[in-house]
Amino acid sequence: MLGQQILSGLATGSVYALTAIAVVVVFRNTRTINLAQGDFGMIAAFLGILFIKEFDLNYYVMLPLVVLCSMALGVLVERIVMRPIADSDWLTLFTATLGVYYILHGAAGWIWGRDTKAFPVTFDAEPVDIFGALISQGHLINMGWAAAIGIVLFFFFKYTKQGIAMRAVTDDPETALLMGIPVRFIVLLTWGMAGFLAAFAGVLLAPIVYVSPEMMDEVLIKGYVAAVFGGLYSIPGAIIGALMIGVAENLAGGYLGSHFKTATAFVMIVVLLTFRPQGLFGIQKRREI
Amino acid sequence: MASHLKCEEITVRFGGVVACDGVSLDVEEGKIVGLIGPNGAGKTTLFNVLSRFQEADAGEVYLRGQPVNKNSTSQMVNLGMARTFQNINLFAEQTTLDNILIGAHHLCAPPLQSMLWMPQARAVERELTDRAVEIAEMLNLESELDNLAKNLPYGLQKRVELARALAAKPEIILLDEPVAGCNEEETEELQNIIARLNRELGITVLLVEHDMSMVMSICDYLYVINFGANLAQGEPADIQTNRDVITAYLGEEV
Amino acid sequence: MEQRTDADIQDQSPQPTKWDRSAIVRLKARFERQNWAGVLFLLACAVAFPMLPGVEGWQAYTVALVIIYIIAAQGISVLVGFTGLVSVGHGGFLAIGAYTSALLTKYFETDIIIGLISGGLMAGFIGFLLGLIFLRLSGAFMAIGTLGFAFFVGTVVNNVPLFEGREGISLPSNKVMFWEIGDIGFYYVSLTVLALVTLFSYCMVRSSVGRAFMALRDSEKAAEASGVNRVLYRTIAFSISAFITGMAGVLNGHIVNYISSEVYGDIWYSVDILVAVVVGGSAVLMGPIIGGIFVVMLPFMLEELADFAFILKGVVLILVLIFAPAGIAEVLGRPIRNMRARLLRQAGYGGREPAPAETTSVAAAPSQTEKP
Repeated sequence: MLGQQILSGLATGSVYALTAIAVVVVFRNTRTINLAQGDFGMIAAFLGILFIKEFDLNYYVMLPLVVLCSMALGVLVERIVMRPIADSDWLTLFTATLGVYYILHGAAGWIWGRDTKAFPVTFDAEPVDIFGALISQGHLINMGWAAAIGIVLFFFFKYTKQGIAMRAVTDDPETALLMGIPVRFIVLLTWGMAGFLAAFAGVLLAPIVYVSPEMMDEVLIKGYVAAVFGGLYSIPGAIIGALMIGVAENLAGGYLGSHFKTATAFVMIVVLLTFRPQGLFGIQKRREI
Repeated sequence: MASHLKCEEITVRFGGVVACDGVSLDVEEGKIVGLIGPNGAGKTTLFNVLSRFQEADAGEVYLRGQPVNKNSTSQMVNLGMARTFQNINLFAEQTTLDNILIGAHHLCAPPLQSMLWMPQARAVERELTDRAVEIAEMLNLESELDNLAKNLPYGLQKRVELARALAAKPEIILLDEPVAGCNEEETEELQNIIARLNRELGITVLLVEHDMSMVMSICDYLYVINFGANLAQGEPADIQTNRDVITAYLGEEV
Repeated sequence: MEQRTDADIQDQSPQPTKWDRSAIVRLKARFERQNWAGVLFLLACAVAFPMLPGVEGWQAYTVALVIIYIIAAQGISVLVGFTGLVSVGHGGFLAIGAYTSALLTKYFETDIIIGLISGGLMAGFIGFLLGLIFLRLSGAFMAIGTLGFAFFVGTVVNNVPLFEGREGISLPSNKVMFWEIGDIGFYYVSLTVLALVTLFSYCMVRSSVGRAFMALRDSEKAAEASGVNRVLYRTIAFSISAFITGMAGVLNGHIVNYISSEVYGDIWYSVDILVAVVVGGSAVLMGPIIGGIFVVMLPFMLEELADFAFILKGVVLILVLIFAPAGIAEVLGRPIRNMRARLLRQAGYGGREPAPAETTSVAAAPSQTEKP
């Protein structure tokens, strides 16, 4: 029972992790807390339905297409909305992403309707047995994807030119610019990456929670909390935070009752921030006088 | 004369770097005392320890013989200590007058009375405004009272900082490089002002400064620190001829 | 180089021997009187509104709804405009106010005045407790923390039986003392609260407390060196802000005599109030008023368009951010401010225009790094 709770907690956590990573990447490169992150995924899920149902595409043809569309959406948002106000304070940036949230939410509701839709690809209902713990195939596949993306990101940041440039922008945008790094392009790439991660989060979650304009709202909040948990600057921190939240809320839901499930994340964050205001993996910056 | 501000064996570490390594100094009441040393000697760190902006890893600070290690930063003004900053820290979007008034914050009525505009709070407010104008007049800032701080030229901003510190009615004032970046004229003016504060208002002054001619002419006593430790102390004339000090400045003319 | 520019500037502006501020002080007092006249005129209009011929109860109800939003927005504007802190979770305080008053009314049959006071105090008290945790956090951390708080409140009202979740709590018709008040009476109650809150904000901003808030916003270090207790003043700001929003919540519950988690469990409610402040402008008294009208009236006018209204709201929000970053109130007030600035300049106020960048860079704009 315990093993099973933990396992399905990890599965939920891995979807949170995809969102949390995107929140961290966008925040540390652009100081923007992206409220539209969840809705990128929501749009991706709707597009997934569209591609499969209307165009009769195979799941594995649909996936890269959706990812591309979602990345394009991220890039578009950067070019049209975020770039004109790039130098503003973070509240302005934050509110602008709220505007994007409204637009995407409204657009989805307008085009596809408010009611929830089933995702045409459902996984085998037969659960898989891992060391005595039962887990649904959908969850298992999600974990696999999330892990694969995590590995891809690791190599991207470690070895590719763009990945290293992105880290440089994180550390010090001005110096990066002086060093000849095309900061604007990197910012664009950052938003593209946000779209990329959102597409996976949306499509992976779709078979489990059904598709509606509100499908990602809760995931987004958990993603934020996970990002803050990890200190908002650290990708590994965000991943660990997300998995911890997934497991903790599943345990709370299992042993204390489902009422407690959604509140778990908040209780965790309050306790954490009370003792470590900079997050679990954050660096306590020395006060400059 | 009695000791006004004293610290003993102050040690501050940042990770592996030791910024202050057992520094001690003693500022006598009513004197102008200078703290000098090459760049990176730990002067500003020591200043921050004295004004409770930085926690010392070891050592004690005494204000008029009372240890102040437990006091918070904002309490220091109540104990009669005000300070300025090396990099100007003004309230950029507010007028000179408001900047000076903030300095007198601890003299204002309690928050609740103040925000409900109780009559006694308003009376205090008027009184403080008058005093702020007086201070501005003393520092030749009266024509700048209604200008936004961010629009003032550098030299005047430095003076507004000083005015803000004075508004707190301090008994001792800590000046972190009061004339850095000022031209000769401005330097001379500030120097005269500091001397007047000390003479006429009896304010004890501790200052960090790189402008040696200014330090030598204004200070009654000097402390020299290097690599976070005391190097020498004495009257300006003695310091000028001190071998160690000259070596520390690597031939720089002292 | 830098020093030379300073000297030049000083040479250019003739320095009178003895500065006379009385003209400036007189002018400022005059502007103040004009402001008050304007506010009183607006208030008179608002008071007269329900008495106009042809105005019916439901219209008073609609305007009261706007007023409630304005009050809530004023609560946030205290925080955002003057202390530079941002709360994304003020819907939580709205809910706390609403439920406190609703439960009191249901079980103890209290009137709306007691509801307002207790709802406000409860929200203020919880704001105080949360302030102790959140105010140590830097901007982005605080935003997410407060959003989490709103989410938590939503979960609680959804799941704890006392709050009756989606079933909701129905309230008896509104009373002041023992008299029942209709829509019109409720309108006047809301208007009174708005007037009091506005008066209070005005006084607070222009007192040593408001000065301390702004000092902390512009330079924490210098404020602390001047004896401003950072934790104390930020907690005061947060509590006041929660108190005001809590009162708005009380009104919001009583206006429809019914509250349920359908409304208060929705975290986007919180975000809506913040939008009102950002769109209207935060550091201006008129900001929340204009913002409140925007947030309530736009969906109201476009009700049958539902989702399209959502899109429009997003577009308008983004346009405002790009073209009027300081808010609509700032743009509307610009002609008046320019005129006044000219009059003041003639009297010798603010003789200095912004100096060249290099000379001001040291003290220019608070440089608040977001890194923890």
